[in-house]
Amino acid sequence: MNNSAIVLTLAASVVAAVPIALAAFGELLSERSGVLNLGVEGMMLIGAVCAFQAGNSTGNLWLALFVGAVAGAALSLVHAVLTITMRASQIVSGLSLTIFGTGLATFVGKSIEGVPLETDFRPSAWGPLADLPVVGPVLFDQDPMVYVTIVLGVLIGWYLNHTRAGLAVRAVGESPATADSMGIGVARVRYLHVVAGGFLAGAAGAYLVLGQVPSWSQDGTTSGLGWIAVALVVFASWKPLRVLVGAFLFGFSRQLNFYLQGRGVDVPAEFLSMMPYLLTIIVLVVWGSRDLRRRVGAPAALGLPYVRDER
Amino acid sequence: MRVKLEHRLEQRWWHSAITPLAAVIAALVVGAVFLRIQGFEPLAVYRALFRASFTSVYGITDSLAIATPLVVTGLAAGVAFRMNLFNIGAEGQLYAGAIIGSWAGIALAPHLPGPLAIAAVLILSAVGGMLWAVPMAVFKAYFGTSEIITSLMLTFVALFLMRYLIFGSASFWRDPSSTNFPQGKKIDAAGELPLFGEYRTGWGLVVVVLVAIVVWVIVRFTSAGYDMNVVGSSPKAARYAGISTKRVMMMALLLSGALGGLAGGVEVAGRAHALDPNGLELGFGFTGIVVAALARYNPFGIVLVAVFLGGLRNAGAALQSMAGERVPVEVSLMLQGAILLFAIGAEIFVRNRLRIVRAAVATR
Repeated sequence: MNNSAIVLTLAASVVAAVPIALAAFGELLSERSGVLNLGVEGMMLIGAVCAFQAGNSTGNLWLALFVGAVAGAALSLVHAVLTITMRASQIVSGLSLTIFGTGLATFVGKSIEGVPLETDFRPSAWGPLADLPVVGPVLFDQDPMVYVTIVLGVLIGWYLNHTRAGLAVRAVGESPATADSMGIGVARVRYLHVVAGGFLAGAAGAYLVLGQVPSWSQDGTTSGLGWIAVALVVFASWKPLRVLVGAFLFGFSRQLNFYLQGRGVDVPAEFLSMMPYLLTIIVLVVWGSRDLRRRVGAPAALGLPYVRDER
Repeated sequence: MRVKLEHRLEQRWWHSAITPLAAVIAALVVGAVFLRIQGFEPLAVYRALFRASFTSVYGITDSLAIATPLVVTGLAAGVAFRMNLFNIGAEGQLYAGAIIGSWAGIALAPHLPGPLAIAAVLILSAVGGMLWAVPMAVFKAYFGTSEIITSLMLTFVALFLMRYLIFGSASFWRDPSSTNFPQGKKIDAAGELPLFGEYRTGWGLVVVVLVAIVVWVIVRFTSAGYDMNVVGSSPKAARYAGISTKRVMMMALLLSGALGGLAGGVEVAGRAHALDPNGLELGFGFTGIVVAALARYNPFGIVLVAVFLGGLRNAGAALQSMAGERVPVEVSLMLQGAILLFAIGAEIFVRNRLRIVRAAVATR
């Protein structure tokens, strides 16, 4: 039964969830410190294109992943400077980051369009565990990044809720003035978390080429995943473990069209492709409404620049 | 000693003129770095770029042809953004407009006299864009759902819908004679916007400039425009003044959607002449955001910036067909993104000035 279509679809959904979860973790860190970054899509694309180049020129998977992540972090630094130091609108700056990132990635990526990537993440089985019914293929026969992502979700949850540094982050996101008077460097915390967010978004983009489709095309690589990650943070009420669950759900909705087509269900492919996007809208309308936002845990200072003199 | 940002008490007129210029120059410098990394000669590329778009009659008219839809998508972004409503889905509204507009061009245009046929295509495409914007506007106004994400998600839905109509089904929009390479059915000639003689630009340009003027009049001189300004600058003040913020938000987002849809109509009636997923997928909707931001949401500024970015885009295509270098078209996308980022950075210096504060004197 481990070869049945539904088990294979579930296993593929886990893989599809990885980049969404990574990008959403990054956005979560940034938003928890009070900075909304709508540049996720741009950072992912830059991460993907740089990881591709690094992967093909060095052949080292982890190095390629790291290069992609650093590229994402570099781009997020632009956002940090514009919004934290220069107090530009976080929305406008984030949008521009996506536009710039998309433009730069398509320009740089032009030369590698259609070139195959020679190295990629492969699943490795956990011995006999992989033969367990259903959970075997879904959980114990995946590539290493799947486990990294799950561990990361747990670590981020622990960091935010059980460490001093995490407490500082939450304080900065909820009430920067209070944090400031407690001696926490608001700007420093925000810089660190915006850049950490960019690092993870870059890694998410890198995984798209290193773990999913080993080739580069601007249309096909992210196709709005970065935006889905932004929505997912709202859906997950800014909690990392819920991001994991939500990412799996979105991963599943992306795999659903292959599954249903395999079963000969006669729904046009285009309509199935719309599913993740429609799901995002529904989820946002339900979870992201104004009245619910505060109750579900949106950081109170999200989107607001902090200026000490104007307190 | 440290550097401090301070609010400027007065802004000089030249501050707002010099910002976009400085942003363009800075972006060209950054662009040069990336061009060099990719092995191109930046100065030669820029020279060719300028020559291709702005030095011959054909070049200029081609640039204007690309600028035409950009004016409307720029207005679409502009009317919403200036109220802090971030409709970034003009791209999707453009597709929706193109779908309804091309339907009108095929079904209605043959039965209507000349100008009415064109008007039907344009007006119905605006209606299409407006309808596509309804979920975004309603969710934003009544549930507070982020319009940024809904508008973008609807863009992908519109894209797949359009692909379905042409590639996925034998729909009304598909040309039945194109079986191997599905194409959109041509609209009736009566619904086409005439071109200026042998050039690629035409009456569409006149239409969009008129639309820019209308938008300017609405924003500047009507009570609806006044309400939008009040809600945009302070929703709280608007509530005290008895203005329904929900109604005004809905109105602005629907107007924005209608303009996005009109861009689709202008494309169908003026250039593509059919619902054409390949010809339309050019990102005009997204570039509209850049246009609006650089023009600081001013309708006439939008026309000027659209011409400039239209030239940049047109040159991208010309560069690729240039013998020898083969610079990717995407160079124009990269440049326009960089210009936008620098413009945002520069904006800070229009509103603030830098002051160097000696640590010993004062820190607070």
